[in-house]
Amino acid sequence: MAFRRLVPLLGLLAAPALGQAIAVSPGPDSVSVTVYRDPRRGADQPFKLDWLNGYALISERRTIDIPAGEADLRFEGVAGGILPQSAIVTGLPDAVVEKNRDAWLLSPGSLLDASLGRRVHVRRTSLATGEVAETDAVIRSGADGAVVLESPAGIETLRCTGLPETLVYSHVPAGLSAKPTLSVRTRGTRAARVTVTLSYLASGFDWQADYIAELSRDGTRMDLFAWLTLANGDETGFARADTQAVAGRVNRESDDRSEPEAPPIRLECWPGGTTTSDLREYQPPPPAPPPVMALDVSARRPNLESAVPVTSIGGEQFFQTARQEGLGDLKLYRIPEPVTVAAKSQKQVALLRRPRIPVHRVYRWRVSGEEAHGLTPTLVTRNRDEDGLGLPLPAGRVAFFEVFEGRRILVGQGKIDDVAVGEPLELEADVSSEIVSTVVRERDGPDWDDYRVTVTNAKPFAVDVEIELDDVNARFDVPGRRLEERNGKPLWRIRVPANGRAELRYRMKDEA
Amino acid sequence: MRRPILLLSLCLATPAFGEPARSDVAVTVYQNLALVQDTRQLDLPAGRSRQEFPNVSGQISPETVTLNGTDVGVIEQNFDFDLLSPSKMMEKAVGETITLVRTNPANGREERERAKVLAVNGGVVLQIGDRIEVLRDDGLPVRVIFDKVPENLRARPTLSVTVEAAKAGVRPVTLSYLTPGIGWKADYVALFDEAAGRIDVQGWVTLTNTTGTTFSNADTLLVAGTAGEGEPAYGRGYRPPPPPGNRPGTQTPDRESLGDFYLYPLKERTTIANQQTKQVSFPDVSGAMAKRAYVYRNGWLGALDRGGSVDSVLQFSSSRDQGLGDALPAGTVRVYMKDARGNAQFIGEQNIGHTPMGSDIGLKTGEAFDVKVQPVVVSRQKMSDSRWRTVMRYTLSNARPRPVTVDLIQSGLWGDVRIVEQSHPSERPSADDALWHVPVPANGETVATATFDTRY
Repeated sequence: MAFRRLVPLLGLLAAPALGQAIAVSPGPDSVSVTVYRDPRRGADQPFKLDWLNGYALISERRTIDIPAGEADLRFEGVAGGILPQSAIVTGLPDAVVEKNRDAWLLSPGSLLDASLGRRVHVRRTSLATGEVAETDAVIRSGADGAVVLESPAGIETLRCTGLPETLVYSHVPAGLSAKPTLSVRTRGTRAARVTVTLSYLASGFDWQADYIAELSRDGTRMDLFAWLTLANGDETGFARADTQAVAGRVNRESDDRSEPEAPPIRLECWPGGTTTSDLREYQPPPPAPPPVMALDVSARRPNLESAVPVTSIGGEQFFQTARQEGLGDLKLYRIPEPVTVAAKSQKQVALLRRPRIPVHRVYRWRVSGEEAHGLTPTLVTRNRDEDGLGLPLPAGRVAFFEVFEGRRILVGQGKIDDVAVGEPLELEADVSSEIVSTVVRERDGPDWDDYRVTVTNAKPFAVDVEIELDDVNARFDVPGRRLEERNGKPLWRIRVPANGRAELRYRMKDEA
Repeated sequence: MRRPILLLSLCLATPAFGEPARSDVAVTVYQNLALVQDTRQLDLPAGRSRQEFPNVSGQISPETVTLNGTDVGVIEQNFDFDLLSPSKMMEKAVGETITLVRTNPANGREERERAKVLAVNGGVVLQIGDRIEVLRDDGLPVRVIFDKVPENLRARPTLSVTVEAAKAGVRPVTLSYLTPGIGWKADYVALFDEAAGRIDVQGWVTLTNTTGTTFSNADTLLVAGTAGEGEPAYGRGYRPPPPPGNRPGTQTPDRESLGDFYLYPLKERTTIANQQTKQVSFPDVSGAMAKRAYVYRNGWLGALDRGGSVDSVLQFSSSRDQGLGDALPAGTVRVYMKDARGNAQFIGEQNIGHTPMGSDIGLKTGEAFDVKVQPVVVSRQKMSDSRWRTVMRYTLSNARPRPVTVDLIQSGLWGDVRIVEQSHPSERPSADDALWHVPVPANGETVATATFDTRY
């Protein structure tokens, strides 16, 4: 009897201490998402959807009713990748006492751990009669290494008995939450409904620029199109968000983000060996593997490496195109109307579209010793208005297409780094197998060695070739002529005739 | 008759429903370490007694524990980390007698037996009367009930102290210890207004607790400075030299200090919960003059085929006039700028160390998209066996609509390097570096050249 009367009293005591008022903001009214690239990902590396290392600045406008006096304002529905120390709340009428982010999550393990020393119920169900018996018990061990209970019968363990038994808790201990929760403690003079802005950085986002260059048959013009591809790897989506992406290199420090803790219960009983447990069991042979189906292409995951979005850019099709503006020393691309950045998804809008850019195709190589190597086809132009461009070009991969009998054909892939307005734009595709340079050392001398470089052209038309001679500690000499210089290196510029060849003899003296 | 007694003992055995009675906690938090002072009212009997402190930090450094109280002498301190678990219980029960409750699977009837644990090696061997059995050998359900929890087995690592009290009675006893797993750093939100040349900075103190323990209603004092156990020497990879414009200050802020540390007491008591990141506003919010600077550092014989972006550096001061007017504890400065719609956007962050008041601070926020430098090795000429002449050309381009000045640094000038010829006057901030301030016109280009006479 004494026991029965004790329970409610103890239950009262165990309830969380009388706290301040709690106001909950379940979600944002409107939200703005600005996505930043993974600073360690190169221009030619695509992001991986299951491993996004960029981040985003998320600004949410929320309406919240603030009670008078001391209150906890809880912000629910923030991105799971939130970097709590970056959170800023503006628009509160009164001073913020403190901001908290609680990451002790409610889980079977934490429920047990936080209930240490508290009273719980053990419920056993008889499999024979279906009878349910409940006993009071006090938890005596933490979640690490299973459960020891003190019950009126004595000291017992849970789940070592072979009986269907479980723990029943009367309430969730204070401090455990379903998701990492951001809260702000304020002290208001009076109750008010206010609109606040909550901004924070969150990991698990990324974006990239993907260029598609369509070349004319004669190689003198190029239609340039680019996708802005942004990805949200977070479990939180953002509906009708003002969405931006920032280009340029932004300095980040490694964020020492403490991962939310949701421990499981490790159920471990005493050694359970029996008189037969050391006997080797008969192992039936494994069933034969199912016959291998013919390669089922449709079932395979699309290969992201080569998933260059293919779009025809010649026509008069309409694309929603991101608007670019300066942001200090960075470039900001704004998607003109609010879009939904869904959880675990990728979104693409047009980044830019410039038709009929005059380009000059040259084949380039830099020789630094005896070798035979294909030259790099390079499209050269300048990022200027008068050349059909004149806008910042963020780093990304480039896919080159040519149209052959009405069909678009991928003819090469390359990358560009960030190109500012006014800079030369040099788009390098792979390596040509038809235009090859061969370097031969013809004679070794006491000071000067004689070399010959030959460029062969297997194409049925003439090509422009640029060969740089490169060795920082060497001097070059071309008997009988003077080569121009580019980037401190002697440059041989030659037009190689159709199905023809060109030759240059030079001398090199290594001074190192 | 037996039941009420058991229940009574059960209630007595659980004095701690919630927090232990009247525990007054003061926490002094260092960068990644905390000194906890836990004052409790203890009712000590005269003579020797053993006192347990279950709610200390899970990461307590037991060697730093001290216990102070009036008329209390410490005989010994024990830190028990043998954790209570079913298998530990069974191992400790070897030679003891336990109770078995067998449940008949057919009718649910229970049957009690006393059994002696003979051995726990891979399985549990029991002696029941004159029979020897293996526990649950037949797979049928058996409840095992132990009479008591063995001594020294704890739910959590527990500190116990054996004390000797001169006389009995309640008195305050203070337990103090160091614990890792709790620390703080500063986080600064800096809003940069480039047009006005101003920066508004709000500082936050970020406390992080991963000790596994909640410190309730703690009187909290933050100490800026590294007390011995600071950052480990390993694991700190190469960091590029800080951009120019960093100079330690010589002013003293109006702040409490102790030794070499500045002290930041929190105004009110706070609860530092387990797994919590807590931020408390820094006392002062202020604006300062700030400007943007561009820095490019080129290694020896560094050359690029295309322009490389220069570092974009935010320069401001922590001095009393025109600066932030305070010492800045170590932390991360996150810089924001307003976009065309007036929304603050993140433009980069950098860590700072403990920064005295009056310092000049240069933070690299990122790299400039529009301001680039292309260094080129124009020529290398061997003058003699031990002298080389190297001509460098730096092409600086600016796609911004206003002129900028780039601090161009050629580093790697070790040895007796002379600059024979140069297009712009240079400074030598160190033997290793030459520094030029090169103006670049709006939407334009400047070419700087220098000829070095070097040993290699």
